Amino acid sequence: MKAFEVRGDAAVAELDDEERMVVARIVADVGLLLGGEAFGMEERSIPDRLDPGEDVERYLRGLEESLAEPGDPAVLRLLPNAAPTDREVADEFRRLTESELRDLKIARLRTMWEQLSEDGPEWEVSVEDALPTASALTDVRLVLASRLSLDTDDDAERLHTEIELAAHAMSSDDGHEWDIDPERVWLGMLYQALTWLQDSLVTAMVDAEAAQGEPHE
Amino acid sequence: MATRPDDPWVTIVWNDPVNLMSYVTQVFQRHFGFAREEAQARMREVHEHGKSVVSSGGLEQMERDVQAMHGYGLWATLQRSGQ
Repeated sequence: MKAFEVRGDAAVAELDDEERMVVARIVADVGLLLGGEAFGMEERSIPDRLDPGEDVERYLRGLEESLAEPGDPAVLRLLPNAAPTDREVADEFRRLTESELRDLKIARLRTMWEQLSEDGPEWEVSVEDALPTASALTDVRLVLASRLSLDTDDDAERLHTEIELAAHAMSSDDGHEWDIDPERVWLGMLYQALTWLQDSLVTAMVDAEAAQGEPHE
Repeated sequence: MATRPDDPWVTIVWNDPVNLMSYVTQVFQRHFGFAREEAQARMREVHEHGKSVVSSGGLEQMERDVQAMHGYGLWATLQRSGQ
C-alpha cells in the first residue's frame, strides 16, 4: 500500500488487489449499514412482483424507522442526535435531515467503491472528489471505531499499542498465550490503514490547493 | 466571526478519537469559510478542550450547520445559546 500523493491534478494512492478487495468490502458493508442497496447489485433492487399492500406497509415501516434514533451505535455515530438536551428539536432535525444525510453518505461510499473496483493498483482521486472521499473514509472509520469501542483519544492510543503487541506475539508464534482476539486485531489494523490513507489524502488535498495559490482568500 | 453573543442558538462541535486534525481544519475552512489560522484554532479548541462553539444564529441556520457537520462525519449538536 502506498499513501496518497499529488500527481498532476489528482491524488493517487496504490493498493494491491487484496488491499483493494478488503477496503472495497468494508466500504460496501457501511453502505449496507446505512440502508443502501448492495453496491454492484443495483439491478436486484427491481422488485419481481408488485404488491401494493405490502409496498405501503414497507413504506410506512421505513418512515417510522427514519423517525426513531438508530439502535446500532455505529449508525447512531453516522447520524447522531443533534440536540441531546432538547428532544423536540432532536426529533425535528432527524425528520428533516436523516434521509438526505443517508443518501449523501451512501452516494459517496458508492463512488469510492466503484473507484476501488476498477482494475490496476492506482486509486486516483480528482481534486473535486478529494473532500467527499475523505468524508467517506471518515464514515468507514467511524463504524470501525464504534465496533472497536474507541470512545476517547486514550482508547485510540491503546489500540495502537495493543496491535503492536499482537503483531509481535503472532509473529513469534505464541499468540495463544496472549489472549488475542484476532477479529479485533484485524479490524484495528484496517482502521489504522484507513487512518493513514485518509491523512495522506487530506495532506495531498492541502498541498494541491496551496500549489493553486489559495483561491478562497 | 461566525458567532455573536445575542444569537439565540449555537452549533457545537465535540471532540472524538476518529476525526483527524487536518481533516477537521479542512472542513471548518470549507463550510464556515474560516481562514486557515482561524480553522486551526477552532480545531485545537475541539481537540484540547473537548468542544468548540463554531457558529451561532437562528434555529434553521444552526440546523443547516449541524447537518453539514454530520455530513462530514463530525460530531455536532445545536442548543440555545447560554445553556
